[in-house]
Amino acid sequence: MASEETLELNKKDWGGGKSPFNVSYGKLMMWYFLLSDAFTFSALLISYGTLRMSNPAWADPNKVFNAFPLYSGELPLGFVSVMTFILILSSVFVVLAVIEGHRDNKAGVAKWMFAGIIGGIMFLGCQAWEWNHLIEGASHGHGMSINHIDFGPGTENYPLSFAHLFFLITGFHGFHVFSGIVFNIWAFVKTVDGTFERRKNNYEMIEKVGLYWHFVDLVWVFVFLAFYLL
Amino acid sequence: MALLDDATYKSQKRAVILATVWLTVITIVEVLIAVWYMNKYGDGEGPRILLNGFFVLASLLKAYFIVGEFMHVKYEKRALMITILGPTIFLLWFVIAFLWEGTAWLNMREVWGLVGM
Repeated sequence: MASEETLELNKKDWGGGKSPFNVSYGKLMMWYFLLSDAFTFSALLISYGTLRMSNPAWADPNKVFNAFPLYSGELPLGFVSVMTFILILSSVFVVLAVIEGHRDNKAGVAKWMFAGIIGGIMFLGCQAWEWNHLIEGASHGHGMSINHIDFGPGTENYPLSFAHLFFLITGFHGFHVFSGIVFNIWAFVKTVDGTFERRKNNYEMIEKVGLYWHFVDLVWVFVFLAFYLL
Repeated sequence: MALLDDATYKSQKRAVILATVWLTVITIVEVLIAVWYMNKYGDGEGPRILLNGFFVLASLLKAYFIVGEFMHVKYEKRALMITILGPTIFLLWFVIAFLWEGTAWLNMREVWGLVGM
């Protein structure tokens, strides 16, 4: 009896003619793409963990990431906290754009998408500053590049793999941020010129680019964990 | 398509703001604890197992807010939740296996005197 009911329910969902997941094809495929991308990032972060475990010494994040723009003292993890906050806020702005889209409020979508784009560009700017600061400092005893790592006395045993993995993983993440900004700008333009309004599907494209944008934020949580906290 | 009514609109916005506050507070607490620990034990010193456990749990909590609230998975159909979140169970094995492997490499290097090469 119960199994017949379940069968009936399954037929209702999976009998064809509609999406069993109750989402559009595009949104589902965005999800599957993000799942595969999650595995790519996991592979990179797990290689970081493996190489770290296999080295007798490793770089100390409090010593590596202690610089702050326009401030000459040491501020461990200060700058990266600001970067994290910027990326979270940018993500929130895009959520608000999605919600406005569900009310068919074109001006609201455009406003929040614009704020999200500005947040993304600010994050990339911060990352550019951090990379520049580290690479510039490599030859002055307070930085690293892909062929030199030196943070002053007591850091002679920092392995070069740390620098390699840092630039590889934050670079790969930064490239995701960059492409996210490109998608967001495209969605912003299509919102303003009324393309999404004419589709009459509650700005679904904003949801799709939004999913990608939140994923970039999600990856940053784990990059932050691996490089800056652990 | 049906538009969002005012009550749902307000409650959705409130949920988003709540998630934002959580994410911010967790990040601030993580950084404060990291700095406090550094001042207490010196750079990279001290027993780190509890500290690292806390960081991992706090990050998973942050991931829950981002995936659940921002990416809207909390409100999707059960079948969609399973198809997205189910495969990530493999990561658990992936992490354990490769950290284990890394430790074994270090062990081998020490046994054969290859540390530093």
